[in-house]
Amino acid sequence: MNSRKFSLVPYLFTAPALTVFALMVLLPLAMTVVYSFMDWKGYGAMTPVGLDNYARALADPIYLKSYRNVAVYIALTIVLEVAVGLAMAGLISARLRGAAYYRTAFFTPVMLPMVVVGYLWIFVYNPEFGLVNSLLRLAGLEAWTRVWLGDPKTALIAISIVSGWVFAGFYMTIFYMAIQRIPREIYETAYVDGVGEFRLFWKIKVPLIRGMIGVSLLLCIMGAFQGFDLFYIMTNGGPYHATEIVTTYLVKVVFQRMNVGYGAALAVILTLIVIVIGVLFSLLRRKERNELEY
Amino acid sequence: MAAVLGGKRSKKRAAFHLLLSVTALWFFYPMIWMVMSSFKTNRKIFSEPFALPESLNFGRWAEAWQSGHLSRYAFNSVIVTSVTVLFVLFFASMAAYAFSKWRFKGGKLLLSLFIAGLFLPVQSYFIAQNELVAFLKLRDTHWALIVPYIAIGLPLAIFLLKAYIDTIPGEMTDSARMDGCKEWQIYSRIIIPVILPGLATVAIFTSLNAWNEFLLAILYIQDNAYKTIPAGLLTFSSRYVTDYSKLFSALSLVTIPMIAVYVLFSRHIIAGLTEGAIK
Repeated sequence: MNSRKFSLVPYLFTAPALTVFALMVLLPLAMTVVYSFMDWKGYGAMTPVGLDNYARALADPIYLKSYRNVAVYIALTIVLEVAVGLAMAGLISARLRGAAYYRTAFFTPVMLPMVVVGYLWIFVYNPEFGLVNSLLRLAGLEAWTRVWLGDPKTALIAISIVSGWVFAGFYMTIFYMAIQRIPREIYETAYVDGVGEFRLFWKIKVPLIRGMIGVSLLLCIMGAFQGFDLFYIMTNGGPYHATEIVTTYLVKVVFQRMNVGYGAALAVILTLIVIVIGVLFSLLRRKERNELEY
Repeated sequence: MAAVLGGKRSKKRAAFHLLLSVTALWFFYPMIWMVMSSFKTNRKIFSEPFALPESLNFGRWAEAWQSGHLSRYAFNSVIVTSVTVLFVLFFASMAAYAFSKWRFKGGKLLLSLFIAGLFLPVQSYFIAQNELVAFLKLRDTHWALIVPYIAIGLPLAIFLLKAYIDTIPGEMTDSARMDGCKEWQIYSRIIIPVILPGLATVAIFTSLNAWNEFLLAILYIQDNAYKTIPAGLLTFSSRYVTDYSKLFSALSLVTIPMIAVYVLFSRHIIAGLTEGAIK
């Protein structure tokens, strides 16, 4: 450790990273806060309007609806990504030959571009030749076929399922890694006593990876607030704002209606919500850790 | 008795494998269907969605690659991704070295700024970042994406690389310094070789993020000549709205090389994409 006398060295070593980060993240973050108190179209005069943009946001039915949709999306993806991922982790961590192949295979969608995934699933949901309706017809369930992405009742669920298709393998992998870190002795005796894989998973493995399940819930919730690609490509908020989420609405407000000031206020509110969730979560984790030490 | 037990066990094993196979089908059938459909005519896509293609006709793939500008988009993606990765590796490893091995005024604050950047969504700042990109005259150039991608990639890269450098004992750098090594030599000859695995991890998630990034790519680039694959696919699909076989060809063309890369480096890619989440 070099700490005795002043040296320029650490400053020089951090300067490039700091410059880019400050210029492209910190500065625009501060500018967004400033914009949020202005009436501005992105060009011409900037008029300060105090808290008007925030008042407007709290009374904007579409903005409020976008949070309701995000809440539904979070609830659905907790099941379709985290819970399904956990179940899959249970399957592949059982003592079974060939499990390694499945483990690798199930992770594949995670690395695909969301654009590709989005278009692929637009086709899967296509009312005429899509896989879903074709399968239903094949099974003689013609009456169940639907315009999945065009129906306000099913669109959000349909997108959540795609989200699950992509990320279940991701959560499976991090749960699997956590299970691998459980010391073998802990469940070796259970094996010897003839405890079945299913009980072993629920009674021993799941409780022991509680911490990782918590982290996953946070990742899933944070990810939901930042979702954009699938929604923009598959429905762009439609039909009738049934799949409008904060970011799709933000892009419309700022880049189509050129309402930069108002959009900035919407972005600041989103940022505050994400920060509050992050802080609440880390407090919860700390509490849990203290209880464990007790 | 043993036979009965064995039978029960093998039944259970069969059930496990059945479950796993169904799951595998759920993940892969949509992709297989996509590739199969790319070899069919539009009429066949509608009339026989499950049928195998009659022949492997790569003509549509070639059309999508050339007339659909996919080759141009792929070129742009390669440029943007590789330049982004190089800068992130270089800048992040330098900063991580300073944060790990030097105690300096303001250092803690700077590090906590980067850590805060880990949790900050792009949505928090992209509205003003868009103005900055325009102000700096970067719009419709490769730099319009490269510079923001570097900034977005740095926090996690610094965080991970610092953890790697923390494991190098301080005596090692101190004794090198006493032997007359310049700081730059300590960084390039002692630090870098030790953190190569960390750099590989950072390179993997940075390149995948840059390669797949969509939101900024559609906002900062309007000129078709500079679009990356994700933004280009959007343009492509609005141009060939109902030419399904061409669209399936384009999707296959983008997907298959990525799956090939994944098959070759799956272990590293999985590690690269999960390491950041777990730490």
